[in-house]
Amino acid sequence: MMTQPIIGLITLLFMMIPPVAEIMESIMILHMHMQMPMIVIAGFLMAPFFTKRFPNFFSKWNQTGIPGMLLFIIVMSYWSIPRAMDDALTYPAVELFKFISLAFLVGVPLRDSWKKISNRWQNGVLIFFFLQFTGLGILYIAAPGQLCNNYIQSEQVTLGWGFLTIAIAILVYLVQLIFINPADYE
Amino acid sequence: MALAQTIKEKANNALGVNPLDAKITKSYFIVTFLALLIGGYLGLIQGLNRAGVFELPSWLDYYQVLTAHGLLLVLVFSSFFTIGYFYAAMSNTLGGLLPKVRKMVWIGFSMKIVGFVIAVIPLIMGDANVMYTFYPPMAASTWYYVGLVFIVLGVWMAAFGAFIQVANWRKNHKGQHLPILSYFATGVFVLLFFGTLPVAIEVFMIIPWTLGWIETLNSMLARTLFWAFGHTLVNIWYLTAVSAWYVIVPKVIGGRRFSDVLTRVVVMVLVILNITGGFHHQIVDPAISEPVKFMHVFMSLSIGFPSLMTAYAMFAVFERTGRAKGAKGLFGFFKKLPWGDVRFLAPFIAMAAFIPAGAGGIVQTTYQLDQVIHNSLWVVGHFHLTLGMSVALTFFGISYWLIPHISGRVLTKKMNKVGVITTIIWTIGMSTMSIAMHLVGLLGSPRRTSYTTYGDNATALGWDPYLIFLAVGGTFLIVAVTMQAYNAFHLMFLAPKGEEEFPIAEEEENASKTPFWTERWSRIILIMLVVVAMAYVIPLVDFIGDPGSIPWRTW
Ligand code: HEM
Ligand SMILES: [Cu+2]
Repeated sequence: MMTQPIIGLITLLFMMIPPVAEIMESIMILHMHMQMPMIVIAGFLMAPFFTKRFPNFFSKWNQTGIPGMLLFIIVMSYWSIPRAMDDALTYPAVELFKFISLAFLVGVPLRDSWKKISNRWQNGVLIFFFLQFTGLGILYIAAPGQLCNNYIQSEQVTLGWGFLTIAIAILVYLVQLIFINPADYE
Repeated sequence: MALAQTIKEKANNALGVNPLDAKITKSYFIVTFLALLIGGYLGLIQGLNRAGVFELPSWLDYYQVLTAHGLLLVLVFSSFFTIGYFYAAMSNTLGGLLPKVRKMVWIGFSMKIVGFVIAVIPLIMGDANVMYTFYPPMAASTWYYVGLVFIVLGVWMAAFGAFIQVANWRKNHKGQHLPILSYFATGVFVLLFFGTLPVAIEVFMIIPWTLGWIETLNSMLARTLFWAFGHTLVNIWYLTAVSAWYVIVPKVIGGRRFSDVLTRVVVMVLVILNITGGFHHQIVDPAISEPVKFMHVFMSLSIGFPSLMTAYAMFAVFERTGRAKGAKGLFGFFKKLPWGDVRFLAPFIAMAAFIPAGAGGIVQTTYQLDQVIHNSLWVVGHFHLTLGMSVALTFFGISYWLIPHISGRVLTKKMNKVGVITTIIWTIGMSTMSIAMHLVGLLGSPRRTSYTTYGDNATALGWDPYLIFLAVGGTFLIVAVTMQAYNAFHLMFLAPKGEEEFPIAEEEENASKTPFWTERWSRIILIMLVVVAMAYVIPLVDFIGDPGSIPWRTW
């Protein structure tokens, strides 16, 4: 069962190799919708290592899963702000913080919390991200000027469409929940 | 309710095949093997023409033949087989089809036939020589596209029928895992539905354009939508073949299945990653920037993971089974395999062919290497290996037990032998043709081009020996095509009556319990949609707003 954390660690280190990070960060949408999720997935895969090693810590601080979920939401939201991306490209310390925070403050709490929270909370989180992604999508597409110093406006529009299409995918999932009740099948 | 259901299932098993369900699969298979027969002869015409030994009559255009060949084999042959096979599998493993589902799949059947007729009429009249890819700005008669719409709608009927069947079973078997073949069926029908969505959008853009209601059409957008579909379709046939490798072949050789968890993970991964692979068909297209192409090399190669898993799984099963039968040494298990059984031999050759086919695929998905062979006969050689060997031979292998099973007949020793001979001739023919195609492609001979010597240019004349080999391979193939179609109809209508088993292998002993997340299809589909969105958004945003083209008739 330790293969997952090892794969996660390798993924994280791979994403940190300078040329890999450079390619990923050269295009705005790859930076936000490929590099960042990959770091989160790396953390998600590493989570069992921490939950097994420090079970008391997780059961004490994250018994209901709500604190973990809040941490997940806050750090995720922080990294969808244009300014945060600029900072990561400008200050090496922020860049390092990006890798660490997305892996250990997003990926790890997500894995530990998701199965602890109720179905209703899970759907609430999805609705939250649906709204957030729709808002960000509109912002990035409609903003009259450049939001980031490092990326030109046309890349910003592409990223906006990226947010909107993911929001649509989440919407499709939420709508099918109205018609299909998982409890009928499990 | 649950009790009533189990009793019904028991009764179904005791009575053998439900005749109403069998009729569905039989009808789909009749179309399958007719398409193979006609499509095969058209292929021979192409092969002979390209070798310069057969000149087409003035009323027949090379590209007309090529369009029909592609349409019949890549669309009709494979989709009718897949639907017929998985409906038989669902009938067998889910306790018979629901009456409502039966009705849906019949409506789907007629819609596909009607659609096919509507598309074929302009093709016969020479108004649709656009090949099965129908890239704009080439434009065929509007009717061709109307026919395609009906075919897609027919496929959706079959897909939704399958969803209803599966949902109903799960309601009555709460908390249980879907039987493995029906799990494959679910994956395949999910892909069939989501994979045909982009082409439906494309065709709904093309129809008003050919009617002149809109002036221009964005060719790059259309091509991208086409390949989101085309690539998925090809992988659906592959997944169908893979289902037989994981589930049927182990039983035929007297063994057990490979790990249930990993099998289901392979299906999930293929469903999630498939649609995004479409870009490797556009790797040389202009208007897609290099970083995006670079990224898609990874996307395509990531499909290599489930493929490698499959190769590993198959050899693990062969070895385990062989050892259980007392095989010794490193490769001793090879001798214990039932080489004389066509139900094993055909899919085995299919798997073996996937090794060079996969290697060729990696060449094609690598930008620099692809530039050497792009649009050459190499590519044609590649998909005759993947489709013509890996997929087609697996389908043939299935036909030798499934057709007698649903027809209440048996596969006799003699028919088995004829099947083995057919398989061997097919293998000789397809290998010869495909090797010739790969080589002549490396020398630069283009695909989709009728016979020409380019004014006796020396390079073009140098292709001739290979093209002769291509035609020789094609001639072997046509013998095998004819035999295979005969075998299929013989097993359906003439073979001695009896009962043929539907071979489904058992799970391995002391297997670990399969986690239930493998059954949460809504989530699998959510992840799939997010991956598709991420992959397609950059190029699509780039294309939208580019100037379009008016329709052209290039022939
Ligand atoms: C008797 C057997 C067959 C022969 C002799 C044959 C021959 C050919 C030839 C010579 C071409 C290339 C023409 C060109 O690019 O100019 C071709 C194309 C093609 N073949 Fe076959 N083939 C056979 C069977 C099959 C099978 C079983 C499949 C698939 C299941 C298949 C699928 C295709 C497809 C999709 C094309 C591409 C059409 C296009 O480029 O638009 N063929 N075939
Ligand atoms: Cu492909």
